[in-house]
Amino acid sequence: MENAKKNMKFSTHSVSNENREGLKAWLNPFGYGWERVSYWLQRLTGVFLLIYFVGHVIETSSIIGGPDVWNSMLQLTQTPAGHLFLILVIGTSTFHSANGIRLIFTHLGKGLGEPGRPDYPYSPSSLNYRQKSGIWVALILAAFAMLFGVQVLFGKG
Amino acid sequence: MKIHYVTGVCALFVVAIHIIMRLIMPFSASLTYNNVIGNYHNIFYALLLEIILVLIAVHGFNGLRIILLELRQNRTWEKYVSYGTIIASIAIIAFGTRTIIFANGLEL
Repeated sequence: MENAKKNMKFSTHSVSNENREGLKAWLNPFGYGWERVSYWLQRLTGVFLLIYFVGHVIETSSIIGGPDVWNSMLQLTQTPAGHLFLILVIGTSTFHSANGIRLIFTHLGKGLGEPGRPDYPYSPSSLNYRQKSGIWVALILAAFAMLFGVQVLFGKG
Repeated sequence: MKIHYVTGVCALFVVAIHIIMRLIMPFSASLTYNNVIGNYHNIFYALLLEIILVLIAVHGFNGLRIILLELRQNRTWEKYVSYGTIIASIAIIAFGTRTIIFANGLEL
């Protein structure tokens, strides 16, 4: 038992020394397909939406200050730049949700295809048209959601 | 990842209701002080906001934890990242809950 604990500690330490590329590897866009773009966008939209969420919770707390405080907060956010920011939030949240649903299915083993013999040109069966079309659907839905956002925020009414 | 998937899917539904509440009337009218405070005074809507707050805080900070643990792996880093994100989630939930309670008009 003691030896097992020591080995576990040693192996954890080794992993930490081997894996030092960190953010540089995470941001490297070269040599990868659409799955990498999706991986990257899922994380970037997630971090962006978390920042928006924290800002939104702080911003809406002005409601307890009364009508004057609420209206002065609205004056800051209800501007063309504020509306463009909201449209970005609509697009990123739609992509994050749609791509997130694809990832849940993928994690459950759905849409990965059958494992096959590794023949030339060695394209993995898991990175198939189902996965790619899921990414494209997420991007198209995000574009439509942003158009709807433009209509609501910049349209009449 | 179970907690991440469950909070993500649940958040999708409750956030949809939250957005619909802003779209059942002209957007600018839905943001007037009287309309928003009226929303907060509705106990069911206040409860919905609390559920959204908890779900998104847990989902968001757990997602941040996953990203940070992908970047580097060792025991100390994992410990600080996990505790840091848990504390941040609790802080934002506490702050948002304070807004919901005061805006709802409940006296503690």
